[in-house]
Amino acid sequence: MTRIDSADPPEANPPVRRRRSRPGPLGFVLESVRMAWRWLTRMRTALYLLGVLGVETLVATVVPQEPNVPRTVTAWRAGTEGPGETVSAFIDMIGAYDAYGSPVFLATLLLLFTSLTACLLPRTRAWWRIARSSRPPRTNHLGKQEQVARFETTAEPEEALATGRALLGRRRWRLRSPDADPGAEPQVAAEKGHVLREGGSLLFHLSFYVLLIGVVLGQLLGFSGQVGIIEGDEHSWTETQVAYWSSAPGRWWSGDDHRRFEVTLDRFDVDWHRDPAFGGQPSLFLSHVTVTHPDGSSREDTVGGNDPLVVDGMKIHQLDWGYAPRVVIEEDGQVVHDGFLTLSATEEGVWHGAAKAPAADPDIGLDLFLVPYAPTDEAGRPQITGAPWDDAPLLLFRQYVGDLRLEAAQGVNTLDLAGLVEMGNGALRPGRSVDLGEGVTVSFPELRRWVGFQVSRRPTVPLLLAGAVLVLLGLVPALYASRRRLWMTATADPSTGRTTVTVAGRAFQRPQAFAAEYEDLVRALRRELPAPADPPGPSPASENRTSDPRPPREQVVRR
Amino acid sequence: MTLAELSKLLFSPVTLLLYTTSMLAYLYAMAFTKVDRSADEAALAGNRARILGSALAVAGVAAHVAHILTRSIASGRWPRGNMFEFSSIMALTVVLGGLVILQWRMRRAEVMGFVLLGALITLGLSLLVYAEPAPLAPILDSWWRAIHVSAISLAAGIFTMGFVFNALHLLRDTAERRVAARTEAFGGSTVGAAFAGTPTDEDHDQLVDTVAERANPDPDALHDALHDDAYRLALRDALADRWLGVRFPWRIALGSIVVVTLFSLTFQRTSATLAMPLITLAIVGLAWWAVPYLPSASTLDSLAYRTIVFAFPIWTFAVITGAIWAEQSWGRYWGWDPKETSAFLTWVAYAGYLHARATRGMRGRGASWFGIVAFCVLMFTYFVVNLLITGLHSYAGL
Repeated sequence: MTRIDSADPPEANPPVRRRRSRPGPLGFVLESVRMAWRWLTRMRTALYLLGVLGVETLVATVVPQEPNVPRTVTAWRAGTEGPGETVSAFIDMIGAYDAYGSPVFLATLLLLFTSLTACLLPRTRAWWRIARSSRPPRTNHLGKQEQVARFETTAEPEEALATGRALLGRRRWRLRSPDADPGAEPQVAAEKGHVLREGGSLLFHLSFYVLLIGVVLGQLLGFSGQVGIIEGDEHSWTETQVAYWSSAPGRWWSGDDHRRFEVTLDRFDVDWHRDPAFGGQPSLFLSHVTVTHPDGSSREDTVGGNDPLVVDGMKIHQLDWGYAPRVVIEEDGQVVHDGFLTLSATEEGVWHGAAKAPAADPDIGLDLFLVPYAPTDEAGRPQITGAPWDDAPLLLFRQYVGDLRLEAAQGVNTLDLAGLVEMGNGALRPGRSVDLGEGVTVSFPELRRWVGFQVSRRPTVPLLLAGAVLVLLGLVPALYASRRRLWMTATADPSTGRTTVTVAGRAFQRPQAFAAEYEDLVRALRRELPAPADPPGPSPASENRTSDPRPPREQVVRR
Repeated sequence: MTLAELSKLLFSPVTLLLYTTSMLAYLYAMAFTKVDRSADEAALAGNRARILGSALAVAGVAAHVAHILTRSIASGRWPRGNMFEFSSIMALTVVLGGLVILQWRMRRAEVMGFVLLGALITLGLSLLVYAEPAPLAPILDSWWRAIHVSAISLAAGIFTMGFVFNALHLLRDTAERRVAARTEAFGGSTVGAAFAGTPTDEDHDQLVDTVAERANPDPDALHDALHDDAYRLALRDALADRWLGVRFPWRIALGSIVVVTLFSLTFQRTSATLAMPLITLAIVGLAWWAVPYLPSASTLDSLAYRTIVFAFPIWTFAVITGAIWAEQSWGRYWGWDPKETSAFLTWVAYAGYLHARATRGMRGRGASWFGIVAFCVLMFTYFVVNLLITGLHSYAGL
């Protein structure tokens, strides 16, 4: 019995080996750690962990996530949306509103990666051994392989085996060295696909470390911020930390990393399919911007929905847009508010915002609604429609007076009504103004648009892309490469002076593809070896066990 | 008739009818191909039915492709914009995959009937989310979209085939195991096992009839045929066994009604809610009738594995291209949006299936259950997340 040098990859579920444990409490601890490690390294455990990850992801799909949709989460907590307050409290308790930041999720990831590491270390070592010096195993059961063929040749046995070896070598099979087994009956043993399949699987799993490193480094080094810029605004926006409406700098991102370029939005093109069949579906969003670098050079460019602009390594994405009416409030001839408001869309197709004039005495606040398309009907009254295009804009507002309470945190587009008293309301077309009495006039000189940009720097995106490519590069051979082995013997028959060559093969995957490859190999071998002049008896037996009348092998080995 | 109307007509009824008749022909072929192995194969009714089924399936594919082309001309873009178009392409993938891979490459035409059934169900679901051809939102106007959506629909179609095989494997495996247990109990007699459960006169008559029909005088062949038929009867009978006082098909039906009702709630169509349990019952009955004619359980298992192994890298690629497109379009490669999350969940589920296949003690039935769960996750990703959970993939606003 020869030793099998080219061992199969380690078992997915290694048997738990019992070792004699050290006595005492230390021994108990060591034994526990060892058992935990053993448990963690089993494939079955990895499966369970994948299942846990799946369940957590499922929960996070169904439950709204606070980092994504904070408003929905607030509504769920208040009980106005979703399953109600009791369930919401339970969701909060298990931390499912931020599932991907929860300790449970991070612990699952940690365990999964530990399990992966524990599984990959011995496998990588074994693979390295096979890849460096593989010794395909001999077989003592030549006749019992899936594919067996016999034929006769007039060549000497050594010559036949050498021909076979050369043929297999040309076809890139790994061969067992003929000197490996002194004294044993000469046999050609070859294998193919082991290194590729296992290597692919290893590459696939190892590339998850690349992805992990890419994500973590990206979190630390990256930056992303949001800002709204008004169309045609003469004041350009400068890329600095304070200029953003909101930003998420990574821990290793410093204020010096800002690029300090300036951006102006020259024009924002937006259009819709006006055919009522398509319900005002948008057809175009395009920002025309001018970017001025700190050195004074500037260029004009566009930012589109799928077409971000890269400036000094920072990507500018166009993510949001809205109408920006200019609202002027005058009190006793004194201008107390003059500026563009960045209105936000509501579900009804009306745009909402607020104008705040703390300079007035007392404070004046306007709660505003813009109807983009409100054409005047025959009676001279505006018709409110849900159409998004601004062919006949109408600005509706309610006036409040009192204390705006700006010292407390509040949204740009909402008023804190606690300190305010409603005074009256009005409606304005562009270019008009209205006198609200007590010396207060409100005017609506023009309507523009604003665009919400995201400016971000994600330095690890190329690394992540490389990781993703590695995942695919590993996955394909891991799933499609098939491991197969081949053996060949040659015995001389002294009575006829001929040599009987036996070729046997076995595929661990894709037996049908191997059958074709095997037939081709045997045919090539027979072509290269001199055939006897008159084949005695019936035609040489090329026996294919898969075409055996007996039931296929897979049925026999069923549990 | 406008182009859009022609396109709709080509889809329903033309494509649907062609696929349905093709499915029936394939099912007929499955049941009657193996009547007599010694006779001239081409002359058998079963083989003629298979050729008819293939012809109808090819005609169905042609009509389907014509529908997609006319629809794209009508809307002036490639049909990858909404759920109906996605489902339609997914079903086309199922039929094409079945014809090319299963029938042409693997020579496994006997399960084609069920593959077409899977395609028909996908198409039926697509009708529930039917939308007239419309222009595309500008945010969807990207090369990555074409690649991402194509890969997703391709993978989803092949996964659907995999699900069909997994389900058939579990069914056939259950039947085979029970027959094996009974045969054991009857001292190795399959004929005994065939009548172990409920030996009705009808069953017996059928067995005698099929044996008597044979004009082959060879006693060995007769014995073989008798054995085959007894095994088939035993398989079907084993599935009709009582379990906890409920007959097995009823158990499947009850479970299916629960699942299907959930599905119907997702679509919120009353007609669907009423029709679906009936359709499910019909499918369960069909599966029960077909179980003796299916390939062996291990063959079905291997077919399921090979299909899923084919689709998994495509799905992986699709998720990666999705991330690339998200980076280009939304300014981040991964944002835990419900759709991204559930696509990842589907990936994890199918990775679980592949790992289960490689884990000792989970091969076979365990792995198949993983495959079934993974497909449910895929359907959840597709329908529930799209229709009930709002995220960026709902394409509302910019």
